[in-house]
Amino acid sequence: MNSFWTVVGFTARNKFRGKAFLITTLIIAVILSIGVNLPYIISQFDKGGDKATNIGYIQSTNVEAAAGTATGDSLKAFYEQQENAKLKLIAYPDKGSSEENEKQLKQAIKDNDIKGYLEFGAMTPSGYPEMSYKSEKMMEFSLTENLTGALQLIRQATILQDAGLTDEQVAQLNAPINIAAVQISSAEGGRTPAEQGVNMGLIYFIIIFLFMAIITSGQLIASEITAEKSSRVMEILITSVSPLKGMFGKIFGMFTVVLSQVSFFIIVILANVSLPHNKDALAGLDIDLTKIDPLLLAYAIIFFLTGFFLFATLYAAVGSIVSRTEDLGQATMPMTIISLAGFYIAIFSLSAPDSMLVKVTSFIPLFSPFVMILRLGLTDVPFWEAALSIGLLLVTIYIAVYVSAKIYRTGVLMYGKRPSWKEIRKAMKAYKI
Amino acid sequence: MKPLVVEQVMKQYGEKTAVNNISFEVSEGEIYGLLGANGAGKTTTMRMVLGLIYPDGGSIKYNGKPYSNEQLSRLGYLPEERGLYPKIRVSDQIIYLSQLRGMSRKDADTNLKYWLERFEVPEYYNKRVEELSKGNQQKIQFIAAVNHRPSIIIMDEAFSGLDPVNVELLKSTVKELRDSGTSILFSTHRMEHVEELCRNITILHRSNTVVKGSIKEIKKQYPRERVILTTENDVTGLESISGVTGVKLQEYGYEIGIQNEAVGGEILRHAMAQSTVTRFEIKEPTLNEIFIKTVGDRHE
Repeated sequence: MNSFWTVVGFTARNKFRGKAFLITTLIIAVILSIGVNLPYIISQFDKGGDKATNIGYIQSTNVEAAAGTATGDSLKAFYEQQENAKLKLIAYPDKGSSEENEKQLKQAIKDNDIKGYLEFGAMTPSGYPEMSYKSEKMMEFSLTENLTGALQLIRQATILQDAGLTDEQVAQLNAPINIAAVQISSAEGGRTPAEQGVNMGLIYFIIIFLFMAIITSGQLIASEITAEKSSRVMEILITSVSPLKGMFGKIFGMFTVVLSQVSFFIIVILANVSLPHNKDALAGLDIDLTKIDPLLLAYAIIFFLTGFFLFATLYAAVGSIVSRTEDLGQATMPMTIISLAGFYIAIFSLSAPDSMLVKVTSFIPLFSPFVMILRLGLTDVPFWEAALSIGLLLVTIYIAVYVSAKIYRTGVLMYGKRPSWKEIRKAMKAYKI
Repeated sequence: MKPLVVEQVMKQYGEKTAVNNISFEVSEGEIYGLLGANGAGKTTTMRMVLGLIYPDGGSIKYNGKPYSNEQLSRLGYLPEERGLYPKIRVSDQIIYLSQLRGMSRKDADTNLKYWLERFEVPEYYNKRVEELSKGNQQKIQFIAAVNHRPSIIIMDEAFSGLDPVNVELLKSTVKELRDSGTSILFSTHRMEHVEELCRNITILHRSNTVVKGSIKEIKKQYPRERVILTTENDVTGLESISGVTGVKLQEYGYEIGIQNEAVGGEILRHAMAQSTVTRFEIKEPTLNEIFIKTVGDRHE
């Protein structure tokens, strides 16, 4: 056991000391801090930008343009009524000809008085004239949507008023209708939407966390083993410490590294979130960590650990087959694809957690850490199914550890000349792990 | 009980036999030479002794016991190629490797400092291996093999890449280890080192043992076929003596090939008749000659 901890300590210490590791960790921490504070930073910049966008139109006494002027006026009134309205209509006097009007409005854009202007045409059955919004920018969809929304409201209000409805009736028509979605279970009570939200968040977090941990540490474990092989330290190591201890010392060392790195990131995020200016944003999200189901948390930890160690073991095996670092990327590709597949099945099934694909893959060991936790969090899974999935995982881990340790031990043989399968089998039989 | 006994050990790679029934014993305080041309099976044999690869036949016993994890801490290994972490500091990795072989951190550190001092490079303690020259890396590699005080050390090409001064330094260290009772299995291509260090040797050729025994015994088996003769004046007619196979003129005088030792007397008498003889020696064959003879003869 002693030498196991020696390997763990050595692996972790060298990683922590490595400049590359420290620098990437710091860079990611900085990016995270910026990310968390981004809404606040943007809002700081936006203070001046809260000013409404000015839109011009022609206010004319001409009969032909009456409908257009009326529409413009009603929009102007509508936005003036609103607090913090995003748009503001500005009326310009009629200069007589459309050319002169256009010239006037274009000059206003040039002078930065308005961003664009509305032009009115012939009357349409909608009750409004034909309209076009002209500005120097392309694709002003959000602005035109805002305008149509406003016009719809104005029209609705006018019609309702004409119909002679009371204010109460109008309010009733406008009141929103809500349906609360409560997930129920045949066994116990149910989960309220808030609890579901927290569960969803936890699952999201666990799946991403697991995926990140697997990808980063798996690659590191494999490359460290390959580096040991190519620098031939492996020959000394393997004659110093039993392969199982050597391999698991490495995996466990890397596990502590990844865990402390991720913990550091979480602390950075939490520290940033708890800064005074971010308080409001957090409150708005309605996250109540006490609503996390403790059983789900326990499952999450189990699936995280089993998933991590299964993948880590397999990465270690891949690392010991390859003898040069250049070949490593290619060799770890299948593992990366498998973890990606598990990750995507889980992420894309967040909205359909009871599909057949999810049900089947939640029992397949390499996918189940991602997928089963999704099912457990979002649907009602019988206990035996969860137990079976964990059981299958554990059996697979046992086999993977056994085979990987053998490969790790035998991998030393595989320099240059390719050993035959028969030879590998014989060697694997011969060495104790 | 001998510390290391190798008996009828065989190793096959596919169809090819890498080592064929090799047997030898290494006593306490002995340096055993394992010689052979490139690809003769030396490294394979050493790897089997280390437990790095598994023999297909025969047995290897360490103090009478078969290979097991308990034996690991008694073994030291100096690989032919560099086997160190390039980017890790000397102190970190030597202490780590010693700890893996069951030594305490403190003892490992004390030993490392002793060895660095011994090799006159104490400033390497905090250096990374990749910063050192090849020869100095070899010193560190040597320390890695001996730092945990193993009772059996396997040295594959221990002195490669070293300058003559450092070769002497390491050679005297190896002798010290031998005198303190360590058993050393030693391979090299430098025959003069073998003659200086080893009591017994095995010469491998194409996976087979071709010569085996103590250097003295081996030399006795090979006829003395060379006479060194130095005289004050020139001597003529040496070629015509019956039994002389050839005469070479060297800086120091004549090097004469003979069929058997008896011819030596004839040469001496012949030379003394013509001049004053300052040096006369019937040379025993060098290991180099024996090696070339045994390995070279079978090359065809």
